[in-house]
Amino acid sequence: MSTENPQVRKFGTKQFIIIALAVMSIAFIWLGFTKYGFWDEFKGPRPGFFPVIISIGMLVASVLALVFSFKESAPSWPKENWLVPLSVVAIMLATFIIGLLPSIAIYIVVWLRWLEKCTWKTTVVVFLIIMAIVVGAFVLWLGVPFPKGLIYNALFY
Amino acid sequence: MENFQMLMQGFEVLFTFQNIGATIFGAILGLIVGAMPGIGSLAGVALLLPLTFRFNPTTAIIMLGALYYANMYGGAFSSILLGIPGDGPAVMTLMDGYPMATKRNRPGQALLTSNISSFIGGTIGMLILTFMGPALAEIGLKFGPAEMTALLLVAMTSIGWLVGENPTKGLLLTMFGILLASMGMDTLSGSPRYDFGSIYLLGGIPFTPFVIGMVGFSQVIKLMGERHKENKVVVNKLTIKGSMITGHDFKRMLMPALRSGFLGTFVGVLPGAGATTAAFMGYAAQKSFKSEEPLGSGAIEGIAACEAANNGAAAGAFAPLLALGIPGSGTGAVLLGGLMMWGLNPGPLLFTNSPDFAWGLIASLFLANLITLMIAWGVIPFLIKILSVPTKLMIPIITVVCIVGSYSTSNSMYGVLIMFISGMLGYVLTKCEYQTAPALLAFVLAPLLESNMRKAFIISQGSLGIFFEKPISLVFMILLLSIMLFPIVRPVLVRLGLLKKKVK
Amino acid sequence: MKKHVLFIALVLIAALATPLFAQGGVEAKSAGFVPSKDIEWIVTSSPGGGSDIYTRIITDIMTRLNLVNGQTFLVTNKTDGGGEVGRLQVSRVTAGKIADHTLLTFNSGDHAPMVKNTANRIENFTPIAVMAVDKQLLYIGEYSKYKTFTEVIAAVKSGKNVVIAGSKGDDIATYEMLVKELGFTQNQIAFITNDATSAAITSILGGHVDLVMSKPAAADQYVAAGKLVPVLALANARFTGNLAAAPTLSEVGAYANVENPIWRGVVAPKSMSAEAAAFWSSAFEAVSKSEAWLNDYINKYKLVSEFKNSVQAKAYMEKFEADYLKSLGK
Repeated sequence: MSTENPQVRKFGTKQFIIIALAVMSIAFIWLGFTKYGFWDEFKGPRPGFFPVIISIGMLVASVLALVFSFKESAPSWPKENWLVPLSVVAIMLATFIIGLLPSIAIYIVVWLRWLEKCTWKTTVVVFLIIMAIVVGAFVLWLGVPFPKGLIYNALFY
Repeated sequence: MENFQMLMQGFEVLFTFQNIGATIFGAILGLIVGAMPGIGSLAGVALLLPLTFRFNPTTAIIMLGALYYANMYGGAFSSILLGIPGDGPAVMTLMDGYPMATKRNRPGQALLTSNISSFIGGTIGMLILTFMGPALAEIGLKFGPAEMTALLLVAMTSIGWLVGENPTKGLLLTMFGILLASMGMDTLSGSPRYDFGSIYLLGGIPFTPFVIGMVGFSQVIKLMGERHKENKVVVNKLTIKGSMITGHDFKRMLMPALRSGFLGTFVGVLPGAGATTAAFMGYAAQKSFKSEEPLGSGAIEGIAACEAANNGAAAGAFAPLLALGIPGSGTGAVLLGGLMMWGLNPGPLLFTNSPDFAWGLIASLFLANLITLMIAWGVIPFLIKILSVPTKLMIPIITVVCIVGSYSTSNSMYGVLIMFISGMLGYVLTKCEYQTAPALLAFVLAPLLESNMRKAFIISQGSLGIFFEKPISLVFMILLLSIMLFPIVRPVLVRLGLLKKKVK
Repeated sequence: MKKHVLFIALVLIAALATPLFAQGGVEAKSAGFVPSKDIEWIVTSSPGGGSDIYTRIITDIMTRLNLVNGQTFLVTNKTDGGGEVGRLQVSRVTAGKIADHTLLTFNSGDHAPMVKNTANRIENFTPIAVMAVDKQLLYIGEYSKYKTFTEVIAAVKSGKNVVIAGSKGDDIATYEMLVKELGFTQNQIAFITNDATSAAITSILGGHVDLVMSKPAAADQYVAAGKLVPVLALANARFTGNLAAAPTLSEVGAYANVENPIWRGVVAPKSMSAEAAAFWSSAFEAVSKSEAWLNDYINKYKLVSEFKNSVQAKAYMEKFEADYLKSLGK
């Protein structure tokens, strides 16, 4: 893991973001001119006009930002922070198989009991509160049709 | 004073047991729906529409009006307490509300500030609606594509006030936001653009999941590293008294709230611009006024400016809706649909044909405003308990709320995916010292600007002249030029003694 | 410790089972087809919009007339990808119980963009019914430069440019037909696409455009208040009531009439069984004949009730698609 070091002038996340934005602007300019059209003699701007102008601006800004970026310090990326997005990926994948509500239920229990080492009492209380909000408000009251997953559909139909 | 009499008659219509009950019920539901991320006022009103069929039309629309209105209050709750904007208008409330609650340890005061300034903004909007509603609606009509383009260009310059210390980065993200917003169906040509062959991207990037991710979910990822620190917020003031604001706080809040109330009402009347735009503009405008603490660090002025603006806009939007039958927003369109289902024909004849109904509705807004303020005030002590929950427990809770909320906006996992991606992006960008607010503002304003600009060009057949021939548009263009040239002209004016030197 | 695990398991099961029980049990199938579970009805536009109202009025009438064996409708708004995602999902439902209980609101305004922007076609669905048709008119506002459509044509011929405001989808198609019939270019008569008809009306009320295209319902109040005046009926015959003064195109000059029927229908997945399709087709016919349908929908929204059953709807939609593809040059 990289540590805070203001003197390092190497290629890092900051530069990567700027390059990615620059690539995006180039793609938008290219598509704008070739596919969507820039200016119509009678009707003025065509679909590509506005995005192309903005992209050109963004390209210029990204070059400037890239120059400045080497003077800035590189951010640090603690590993444990990525557990949060990782858990969301797990929930999304599990949703396709067992449905959204069971995935969330399992996630809360696993997260609190095994990751955060909470007591069973805390786990259950938090579990009940979340499930009450989700099932009570979103499912029963607002009628949001959460996905039920492959297994449910296979079992019942 | 004729309008005042009509309003009083409206109150007579209103003061039946059933109607007051409907107002209270609508206000409570609106608060809850508003506080739930993902379920904005649009979905809230639409979901409850069928429920209202058992009432008579006046009662039903009073309930929906109260619900719509109370939504603007509720949205601030999750922004201030959880750091997740409930819906669009609450995004800017978060900028100062969340720091004020967590860093400055004044959650009660933050919520109260938001409620009181909502009340002030809403009251201004309703008074304007009462006394000059139809006239205001006519002014709104004068804003055609050319005028809206000029106005939006001026509004876009306000992004400059939001970018913070690093203008290049701010500019970069502003443009990034604009490009993201340009993806999807291009209404004017009726063909898709920048959809990269994806059927999902045909509809563009949905705003609510994008905001929940960019602001809310990115916050959770960041919290993960801080969860073992001592909970900084010690909530020992769980009473209404303990969350009271001081006289000094009120003084700080008053001017921004008044200004934003007027600004918001005006924005609410304009075609296509809604409460979200109003909140953004109110906040950006506050940047050019004096705030006791810097905006973004938990300043009362910041909360007041956007909350008053979005409530003003919510009230202002009723002017074109009632006087002309023109919905200013998606929510307005649903209310309009409701009116038609009950056999009322909204439009220029509503005030003449069904005055009881129209004035009853306006009167109910006043009542809803007052009731919502009182309810919100009453629940503050209970709500701020949320902040005493340890961070490590809040992480899974907020994560679940983000997932469920973003799913609910379009009933699909696509919303969750967008939330997830923009959350990661928001986290990485924040870590690299980018401000995400300009991207969000650009995301809201740019599509409005582009469509109006292109409509104007179709009318003028590609000639720029249209922006300078129409008087309203010309005024905004001059304003725009002076804003842009001011940094250059300033030193000259200072030297000539016409302007005092800027005191920092 | 074990006790805790057991408790958690129980809570979990309770939480998970709630939605299952809410769905109701599986019932035995009788001869032919009768709904035996909740009916999932997809609407590809936002809650509160025209398609949503149409759908909810039908479900309401079906439930009241007890046409669906006491089952409930679950109306789901799937707006992703401009509605294309919802349409694609319905077209891909595999045969079986779910397919027989899935419906999709499908209008000409959905059909045209689907054909234009995706590879999805009507052959991927089972058309169930067409319930109503609608037509448009052109209106002038109080600030409009031209008072009749004859003046508009004369102005264009003398080199002036005219701007029409309208909504998405159907309106664009009608506009294109009109311009073609008049023999003008799309630069001489330009069209501004708005997200909704109400936005188009806003722009003519403010005097920003010359003409506005609208269906009768959306413009009704403004006509009654004298803010909009109909100048051209985009139909084969004149409208009635306060719209009767507007001539058709053939009355204005040596042109053929321009009529682009806008229809509201219902389709189901391609995999829906023939029995189920027949059942639904007759259920919609019953709705179409009901008093409530006439009063709560047709008259209120000023549409023309025109029922087509499953077979007729199929031919109708296929023709619509073929015509539209031809006009696109695909």
